[in-house]
Amino acid sequence: MILKNKTISRRTVLRGFGAAMALPFLEIMEKHGLSAKEPQSKPPVRAAFFYIPNGVVQKTWHPAETGKGYQLSPTLKPLESVRKKVSLYTKLDRIKVAGTDGHAQAGACWLSSAAPDELSPAGYPLKKTLDQIIASEAGKHTAFRSLELSCNPYEDNRESVYFDNISWYGHGHVARSMRDPNEVFNRLFATKEHADHASVLDLVKDDAKALNKDLGKIDRRKLDEYFDSVRTVERQIERIKERQTELDKLDLEAPAQPWQVLRRDEFIQVMGDLMILALQTDLTRVATMMTSPERWGSPLKVHGLFEKPIQHHGMTHNQGNERVRTDLQKLDQFHVEQFARLVKKMDAIQEGDSTLLDNMIFTLGSGISAGDLHVYTDLPTVIAGTGGGKISTDHHLKSKEGTPIANLFLSIAQIMGVKTDRFADSTGALNLS
Amino acid sequence: MTVMPNYKAFILFLLCAGFSQAQEVFDYHTIRGREAKGSLEGLYEGELLPRKSKNMREQGMRHYGPGWSGNSHLLWHGEFGDSIKTTIHFEEAGPYQVELRMTKAGDYGVCSIILNGKVLKEKVDLYSTKVELTPVINLGKLDLKAGDQQLEFKLTESNPKARPFRKNFYILGLDYIKFKSLKPPKKLTPKKIEKVEPEVLQKDLTLEKLQPLLNSYCINCHGGEKTKGRINLKEIHNKQGFLSNIKVTEKVYHALALSEMPPEDEKQPTTAERQQLTQLFRQYLDEHLKSNSQLKPTVMRRLNRYEYSNAVKDLLDLKGPVYPLPEIAIRAFPNYFNPASGKFPDSVRVGNRALGKNQVEQKILRGVVPFAIDLQAEHGFNNRGEELSISPIFLESIVKLSRSIVTSPDFNNYTRLYNSLFTAPKEASIEEQKTLGEKRLLPLLERAFRQRITDSIANRYINFFQRELDRTKSFESSMKSVIAGILASPRFIYIVESKREASEKELLSPYELAARLSFFLWSSIPDKELIKSARSGRLTTPSELKKQVERMIEDPKCQSLSQNFARQWLRLDQLITAVPDFDRFQTYYARIGCEQWKFGLQTMLEPLLLFESIMVEDRSIMLLVDSKYSYRTDEMESWYQDKVPFKNKGNRNRFNTFNQVFRKRSLSSRREGGIATTAATLTMTSSPLRTSPIIRGAWVATVLLNRPPPPPPDVVPEIEADDRKIEEKGLTIRERLKEHQENQSCASCHDKIDPLGFALESYDAVGRWRDQYSSGLKIDSSGKLFGKDFKDVIGLKNILLQEPQYFMRAFSEHLLSYALGRELALSDKPAVDLITKRVLAEHGKFSTVVLEITKSYPFLYKTNQQEPEK
Repeated sequence: MILKNKTISRRTVLRGFGAAMALPFLEIMEKHGLSAKEPQSKPPVRAAFFYIPNGVVQKTWHPAETGKGYQLSPTLKPLESVRKKVSLYTKLDRIKVAGTDGHAQAGACWLSSAAPDELSPAGYPLKKTLDQIIASEAGKHTAFRSLELSCNPYEDNRESVYFDNISWYGHGHVARSMRDPNEVFNRLFATKEHADHASVLDLVKDDAKALNKDLGKIDRRKLDEYFDSVRTVERQIERIKERQTELDKLDLEAPAQPWQVLRRDEFIQVMGDLMILALQTDLTRVATMMTSPERWGSPLKVHGLFEKPIQHHGMTHNQGNERVRTDLQKLDQFHVEQFARLVKKMDAIQEGDSTLLDNMIFTLGSGISAGDLHVYTDLPTVIAGTGGGKISTDHHLKSKEGTPIANLFLSIAQIMGVKTDRFADSTGALNLS
Repeated sequence: MTVMPNYKAFILFLLCAGFSQAQEVFDYHTIRGREAKGSLEGLYEGELLPRKSKNMREQGMRHYGPGWSGNSHLLWHGEFGDSIKTTIHFEEAGPYQVELRMTKAGDYGVCSIILNGKVLKEKVDLYSTKVELTPVINLGKLDLKAGDQQLEFKLTESNPKARPFRKNFYILGLDYIKFKSLKPPKKLTPKKIEKVEPEVLQKDLTLEKLQPLLNSYCINCHGGEKTKGRINLKEIHNKQGFLSNIKVTEKVYHALALSEMPPEDEKQPTTAERQQLTQLFRQYLDEHLKSNSQLKPTVMRRLNRYEYSNAVKDLLDLKGPVYPLPEIAIRAFPNYFNPASGKFPDSVRVGNRALGKNQVEQKILRGVVPFAIDLQAEHGFNNRGEELSISPIFLESIVKLSRSIVTSPDFNNYTRLYNSLFTAPKEASIEEQKTLGEKRLLPLLERAFRQRITDSIANRYINFFQRELDRTKSFESSMKSVIAGILASPRFIYIVESKREASEKELLSPYELAARLSFFLWSSIPDKELIKSARSGRLTTPSELKKQVERMIEDPKCQSLSQNFARQWLRLDQLITAVPDFDRFQTYYARIGCEQWKFGLQTMLEPLLLFESIMVEDRSIMLLVDSKYSYRTDEMESWYQDKVPFKNKGNRNRFNTFNQVFRKRSLSSRREGGIATTAATLTMTSSPLRTSPIIRGAWVATVLLNRPPPPPPDVVPEIEADDRKIEEKGLTIRERLKEHQENQSCASCHDKIDPLGFALESYDAVGRWRDQYSSGLKIDSSGKLFGKDFKDVIGLKNILLQEPQYFMRAFSEHLLSYALGRELALSDKPAVDLITKRVLAEHGKFSTVVLEITKSYPFLYKTNQQEPEK
């Protein structure tokens, strides 16, 4: 993100470049989120999830040592400058359920981590995902309950809905990811538009209530989606209205280029910037972003890294070949670097005595460990931030063989204020402190 | 359930036809349900003819008047003695009545008209003081041979009053030429429709009797020590066992009926034994269905964005779609798709959305943004309730969208209802305006919501309108506000079928049936006539239903079956991101200026145009398996036919990315024809540096047979990405794959999938024919299907044509699933059996498939939604 020229204009153009932003947003945080409704003491903790598809090259990912002072592995090198605020987790698993596509399940069920016997009608172990569970709590105070982003660069519609979405409200009810940065921008910041919609919403809500009487059981659940969405949007409208003057002051300008022409790194950074903006301004406290969708066997241009378009998924199956493995590791590292850049940006944003990063649980992960094996054991997992001082950093925690990743997710949920001692197939919270 | 082979036809085949390899293949081209009406047969637009001389071009004539056919003509200029040359191809020799129309104007010359070297008319003077058409010029009756007809217009002199064009030249303009066959019209379906004989069922088959057969052919792998595929035929050992494990019974039945089991290298049952076993398991399925006939409930679903655009367009009578839709592959210039004409044009000018970037970014209504695209269900379509959710983001988009449509600065000129719906007489008082609004809203609500409008629904919207009117005092803006509400209402965006009081089997209400029909055939809301039929209650009577369906499939709106159904069924979107290696497949790319274009994207329209021609002329769906004709551009024809396409790249630099002319071509070889062997299919199922027999095989199994293979296992060894690397080792890709599948667990699935892909090995990674691999290695494209051997792709097509019931069933299943907006289940099987049987009797006539679906049990009935049993 570039601040064009502080003295001439405060207008912020989203371009995905630049190391960090240092805009005086804090006043907004103080004025709004932390004032009337909540205790004033500390900035809120926020959670974000950064997904990389198709797994990673295992050998070059896992550091040999555990605990403090571990050596960063080759793929994780880009985290060097922020390692003090990063923690690494290995040997966390998810149980695979046979009978559905391995990649679709890896993505769609990563954050649901539902037990194998909890199958949705489509055959996936898909329940409400972690981010949405957190959003039910954390979203009580913000304009947007949650934010779902996908830097899906493909213009074909090759794969089904299960490949491009990691956030679900529940069975068959996708929290669909947005892939156009301009649309995301307008959703977050085009405040006036929101207000215009209120009266139409009243009208259709009444109609939906009347309609409900005619429906069968499954259909009524379908209509509940509609009601839920109406309520969410109404709340958004109300909250955005409250914040309108403040948001107008930000004087932001929409992303400069359409997503179709963005470089791979630009795309991820622009989306990341939008996510950070939303978290920083407390428009939402929960966000997910996919760097690209699962599998999607279409070729992909990764600018500056490879001369020809690559097929990420195909490469993972070919990693027995050393040259391919080297390329694949470069791609893994590229993703880690994108993550690291966002982490740095978060750390550059002051919130009182701490930084945004300190108040974040920013999790990088994949729902599949290695693409060639289609297995869900030892899932790559990194957390940046301390969740407001609750997570100790600069160490590598290797869990016991067979520890469900749901244990980690349970800990995250608890830090985020969800009152529960169970999440999906968890066997107990993972000690993060 | 997605898989259901047609066992009735199969058994019939076993009983009557036997396994004769030499069985004659029925010519499905003789099936044509709709004949060309009026003047369309044999009409060739001048502007679409192949341009064989310099300076030939198209000129739009709309500004000169409405008379020009296709609103354009072919324009040419030259000096005295020069000619325009072109060719017209037709397949049948015989007597033809030939006539044409040309254009006249101040700088037009005098010409001779020459056909196949013979001067037919001299001194045709095209001079006139104004731009106009000549009367019809009659060239008389001619006996013509089949094949290319050489047509020539020779500029001979000029009228003394005419002034030259650019000093030295005179102009000629050809609107159209028509070759009307004088042969007596052929009978539409010359072959008599065979009665499908009632099948003979052996009643005395029991498991006890057939146990020895199971013991000798199956138990070795599926019982006792080994239980491959987790099927244990020892554990299930009596009839009750098979009835309560119906999933297993279904699998066993399919494996037997399709001759997939026992595997090739095991002992095979005799034909009679296989028949007995198949019948036994089929009886079990029938018995199960007798007491388990309840349909899988359809889940209420919302419109996808293609349907939403159509619905709004039809409701508000817009001049075009609401927003640009990248998912529509074909753009017409002008619209050629007219089923009522009974004739698919021999040439069509179309834009290709994948090629023409500007067609995606095209602005329609300013400020209107569609909601995100809905992706397809796995092995299905993007019209299933299970997948089509309403999230807060969606709701936001739809509220925004509905408002932005009516408030767009372009809206008033875009709707044809502006005066009749949105404006009130100036002198009308507010009270009068209120009454007027009410009167207009009632019929609009009925169509928008596809239901009888009760007072409470009506009042809700009318009150809203009246409140807005009180507030704003503007009739137009109040009407727009209430319509924005209608377009965001759950009654508009959900397809609702009332189920609260529904029993297990309940006939749809007439309104519900109207909506099912219109979303199936038009991807839109019902029109006024269909609503009228629903309102009167007549629609649910068989004769009225048939009448309406026949009317609907003659409406151009049913092009949605190509744009929405066929595109998804064939998975054609995958071509958009196919990237054949640039260095190796230079023919796939073109240069225009300094930009590179994927020339090969042109091929995307070929299978869709074939599909549309079958719809319009009501031909047999078996032409999708193999056809004697196809629609291609001149460049594509060269791509397929010439060793070095585009005459050493000459054409590659000049093709038009905005639109192309596709012409009907008769195919010289059976290597071409049908959808599986089109360049589009073959390219999108390849990787950049080689073909992928597995993906191709899976495509054939999924698309043509509706037998999608199970998802790949956890451990997938991948082979080299470049076939040259494989061939360096002296192996073909087939041998390399075989090597990889030594492991038995791979082989059992791949033995089924891969042969269908190997059959297509004679086409390279961009779909061009090859006699051998580049290294000189031989291509082995032999394989086995339904227990029959084939030696190459023609053999594969022959098996599919000789046993048409498989493709007919698969196609019917795909289309039925699309029509219902849900996955099929075992309980749909009897209906699919019936549809397939009737389609078979009509040799696959397209309209039969549609009619049979609309009168099938799952289409006409709904079922309640009890919680699925755990």
